[in-house]
Amino acid sequence: MFGNSDGINKLFIIMKIELKKFGDILVSRPAGREAYLVMSAYLTKELDKDELIEIDFSGVKVLTPSWADEVITKLAKEFKNVKLLNTENSSVQATLKTLRDYSDLKV
Amino acid sequence: MDNNIEKLGYNWITAKSDEVDVVGDYYCQTRDIFQARLDKMVDNLLANNNIREEKTYLISAVVGEIGNNSFDHNLGSWINIIGIFFAYNFIDNELKIVLADRGQGILKTLKRVKPELENDSEALQTAFTERISGRAPENRGNGLKFSRESIKEENMRLVLTSGNARAELNRKMKIEKIEENIKGCLAILTV
Repeated sequence: MFGNSDGINKLFIIMKIELKKFGDILVSRPAGREAYLVMSAYLTKELDKDELIEIDFSGVKVLTPSWADEVITKLAKEFKNVKLLNTENSSVQATLKTLRDYSDLKV
Repeated sequence: MDNNIEKLGYNWITAKSDEVDVVGDYYCQTRDIFQARLDKMVDNLLANNNIREEKTYLISAVVGEIGNNSFDHNLGSWINIIGIFFAYNFIDNELKIVLADRGQGILKTLKRVKPELENDSEALQTAFTERISGRAPENRGNGLKFSRESIKEENMRLVLTSGNARAELNRKMKIEKIEENIKGCLAILTV
């Protein structure tokens, strides 16, 4: 709980999105789009656009730019403060590089 | 099953429409079937232990992109046979993966957004190197750039044929015109 200058207390909760809950082989655009819609309805709907969102890649085995472009690129455009966690997997690394090079991913 | 999956893939993409094998194990009529077989491939490759784990994941991502590209760009406009051919096997410690679709081909797909493309070779060059999407205004089209980088990184080899052009990629990329005209897209990945 933090107080601000207006004397209003605000509870800051970090939203952590665990991608492994959507599967460990994340490949197609339709599947990515579906995942994003689910996130929008159940996870990110009430969040302010400047709240911190952590996207956790642990447990993901295969990720492609198609799936990630529907999810990561969109979340990064929608929210100002997105942090990527546990991105060591080779396909995750390669996918993020492609999105930064070709899809204007800024995180 | 026939071990010569390159030949099977070639036969599948070049056969007359009423002679295409649409009941065999390599035929994926829908994206869901392709996804299920791709998941199985990952498990099989990991169980075989011939290729290190991280490389297996990258290979699978490349295969996922190429296979899904076929569905992304041909949905509703397949020429005659819906879906793709997808096969893989080990021959002499070499993993071979074959993907084929009887769709519109890369030139026709990209011409929608880049009408100045004159031939299949230019279309392949564009697909592998330029920031362009055959489904603009949707922001798509990263798959082949991603594949190119991954192939270079992991010293794989991809031969992709569409129309009368063939791209060969490993550390470098070479695109050449061929005599034959392959309708759709035939990809052979060697690891």
